[in-house]
Amino acid sequence: MAELDDIIHQPLRLRIMAALNALPGGAGLDFSRLKKLTGATDGNLGAHIETLAKAGYVAIDKAFVGKKPQTTVTATVAGRGAFARHVATLQEIIAASGR
Amino acid sequence: MIDGQQASEALSEIDEIARRVRQSTIYQLASLMLIMWGALTAVGYIVTDLSPRHAGLAWIAIYVAGIAGSFAISTFGYPKTRIRTFDGRTLVAVLLFVAFGFFIVWLGRFTPRQIGTFWPVYYMMVYTIVGLWVGYAFVAIGLGITALTLIGYFFVGDVFNLWMAVINGGGLILGGLWMRRS
Repeated sequence: MAELDDIIHQPLRLRIMAALNALPGGAGLDFSRLKKLTGATDGNLGAHIETLAKAGYVAIDKAFVGKKPQTTVTATVAGRGAFARHVATLQEIIAASGR
Repeated sequence: MIDGQQASEALSEIDEIARRVRQSTIYQLASLMLIMWGALTAVGYIVTDLSPRHAGLAWIAIYVAGIAGSFAISTFGYPKTRIRTFDGRTLVAVLLFVAFGFFIVWLGRFTPRQIGTFWPVYYMMVYTIVGLWVGYAFVAIGLGITALTLIGYFFVGDVFNLWMAVINGGGLILGGLWMRRS
């Protein structure tokens, strides 16, 4: 059986990746929407997004909308692949446990 | 390594987040439509109040503009969201819905005030029903505007059309803005 992805498996990072993978390829979520969807705090969300970015699972785009800074987070191709493998591993664990 | 129970909980969490993302995306798209229809509806009621003999033409123009705008919002939003909020099938459904509404108005020989009350209540019924599946913001907007419309019908005197411009048009705009923040 494949191993769970430790980077993705952390609860908040799992929610972040689940949110980003629910969108079509190339589409991202801005920081405030991601915060609302995952129930995270500012600092917590930022730190975990950085961890996912260092792993190459998400891309961070910082831009200005008018005068307001906006950070958009998008799952990378590698991130989508890693998430899909993580979900498959979870399903294998469930199947193996006979649930 | 985790056990089957923990894996199941993780998958449930993933499904719940995906559901929330989908609802949030629908709300973002729907909010644009509500704001657009709210502005158009407000214009319609103001024209009805200021120039009743031009009301029929004004409402036809509003429907055409609203449907064109709905198509545009759906088309430009699709590459990012992969959700079609207004397509050919939706257009046919809207036309059938409106045609049936006209049939009811004709059959019931409604007065102008009754017509002005019937249409928003009829549309808000759809919002309320759709909201049972898509999200409770639609239910709140549908029931809220229905209640205020009926208050207007029974209790608001000659300024009924202006009342409707505010509570129907303004209600849809506020509802759309509220959805954008959800």
